[in-house]
Amino acid sequence: MEGKTHISVRDLSVFYGGARVLNNISINIPDKKLTAIIGPSGCGKTTLLKSFNRIIDLQDGVRVSGQVLVDGEDIYDPKVEVTHLRKKMGLLLQRPQILPMSIYENVVYGPRIHGVKDKKKLDGTVQCYLKVSGLWNEVKDRLHSPASRLSIGQQQRLCLARGLAVEPEVILGDEPTSALDPISAERIEQRFLELKSQYTVVLVTHNLRQAKRLADYVIFLYLGDLIEHGTADQVLKNPRYLKTESYINGEFIEEPEIHRELNLKGTACSDYFERAKHTLEKIAHSQVLKVVVEHEQNAHEFEKTMIHKGHRVLEVKRINKTDWEMLIQKQNNVYTI
Amino acid sequence: MINKRKIEENIFRCFMMAATFVVVGTLAFILVTICIKGLPALSLDMLIKTPKGGYYIGKEGGILNAILGSIVLGIGATFLALIISLPLVFYLNLYVKKKSTFALLVRFFLDVLWGIPSIVYGAFGFTLMVFLGLRASLLAGIVTVALLIIPIMSRSMDEVLKLIPFELKEASFALGSTRLETAVKVIFRQALPGIVTATLIAFGRGIGDAAAVLFTASFTDSLPYSLFKPVATLPLAIFFQLGTPFPEVQERGYASALVLTGIIFLISIFARILSKKFSKRVIK
Ligand SMILES: Nc1ncnc2c1ncn2[C@@H]1O[C@H](COP(=O)(O)OP(=O)(O)OP(=O)(O)O)[C@@H](O)[C@H]1O
Ligand SMILES: [Mg+2]
Repeated sequence: MEGKTHISVRDLSVFYGGARVLNNISINIPDKKLTAIIGPSGCGKTTLLKSFNRIIDLQDGVRVSGQVLVDGEDIYDPKVEVTHLRKKMGLLLQRPQILPMSIYENVVYGPRIHGVKDKKKLDGTVQCYLKVSGLWNEVKDRLHSPASRLSIGQQQRLCLARGLAVEPEVILGDEPTSALDPISAERIEQRFLELKSQYTVVLVTHNLRQAKRLADYVIFLYLGDLIEHGTADQVLKNPRYLKTESYINGEFIEEPEIHRELNLKGTACSDYFERAKHTLEKIAHSQVLKVVVEHEQNAHEFEKTMIHKGHRVLEVKRINKTDWEMLIQKQNNVYTI
Repeated sequence: MINKRKIEENIFRCFMMAATFVVVGTLAFILVTICIKGLPALSLDMLIKTPKGGYYIGKEGGILNAILGSIVLGIGATFLALIISLPLVFYLNLYVKKKSTFALLVRFFLDVLWGIPSIVYGAFGFTLMVFLGLRASLLAGIVTVALLIIPIMSRSMDEVLKLIPFELKEASFALGSTRLETAVKVIFRQALPGIVTATLIAFGRGIGDAAAVLFTASFTDSLPYSLFKPVATLPLAIFFQLGTPFPEVQERGYASALVLTGIIFLISIFARILSKKFSKRVIK
């Protein structure tokens, strides 16, 4: 992937109580690009997004391991000032939550706590960001009435304006258009397209067409595992792995049936292919072999070779700090080593 | 089948109506008694004059000393309790982990304190006074009544704060605010109607209590003028008046009770109006 990295996630795992919700995620999120996180409900998209500004710390009984580097700095370092971090990483929550104050005060809440006092400047901020979120015309005559009277879709746009008003460097949007009609949604999408020239944007979306329209880069999560990531074209049009393909095609995601397992941990790399070939000979066409190898490099090497041999690689995922699990579907009428 | 459910429904409805009737009926009965016995003795003089004419509590004159005394003492105690309860509940709800043993213990203590009879607070206040070398005074009364109403006030506020959606805190923190900013600018606003109600309930409880002020604030015929001098209160006035063998003084006792009830009535209405006013911006 060309371009600079803005957020670099390394071995990130998140646990709620004993349950592991994110499993050794490692990924680089590019600077000034729009990255979409997709995946079925409950796969950990919100959790991943919330770990980018440490709002996840608020949850009871949560444990985070691994690193998230923003501009090269580990945000889980105890020295980090979380209020600065959260200003920098503007998070738009999945459920829009307005504050118990007027529309005007909702928008200026962020700028005010970060020290803007000038009335004129605040007025300007309100007008500017309400226009950005497409709410200005609807509320310009009742800026000082309670925000709780707005409709849900209006509240969502108000939250967008409020989030942008703190002038973050990164925008983390958790389904920011979920409560909007197609036309309002498109207007917001347009804003995101404009914003990405200045900001790094990460969006969670359930809408694949939206991902196609907006994203430069796509991350696909499934049950807490990072299944696939890459440029939007590659992931959305030409997915490499089975689960991504099923999800993109709107099919039910199934765990493939595994016929044999092979543990190559501690085996010299040069022996990998010999042993794999040996095991593959014992299974029939289209049956699946599960292989565990150590180190990312070996995993990639192995994957490449398997594809070269004409087999199909259904899945490559990290299962802990060192180990990678791969699912290989045997394809006959290919020559073996 | 349908019949059985209908019968069930009716039985429970009767039960609920009976319970409501018991509560409303008792209240109405008390009010009617006080009115019938107290109204004849109630006069303008009673409201604007201090006691005169012997018998300590007065056959003539009024109970202005007790009215003012109760109001001053009630406001003082409520204010003191508020200064302590607010930080306490915000600490419990924003700074301490939800399931921490500390929070659990504090809530448990408050619940226990809530149940302690007010005469015990009175005795405790008295001991404290003796220890500090204070005499029965308005100040001692304020402190004792504040101690009495702190558990009531803080537990009611605590329940209000507990109901505030987690997402609201999250939204505020996500904009980069500190806990204090979240507490003061967001949570406080959202909880304000509940906080007002809790405060005024505590005030009502404090102003109506006799046992806590019996030893600590004592009683006097003069109007409250110093923190360090005894002060008269309505509950004690009622207690003394009803305790005399003279029917005309007893009747004045019912009139005093009517005045106290009137004050509490006004406070309740005031609480409703205020809390309605503050709930406009609140998120439902
Ligand atoms: N506070 C919590 N305590 C325990 N488990 C949680 C908590 N929050 C989330 N989870 C679990 O973590 C997993 C991931 O949740 P998350 O909210 O990240 O999903 P998501 O991908 O955003 O789903 P959706 O698309 O429905 O929003 C889910 O299985 C969920 O049940
Ligand atoms: Mg989510």
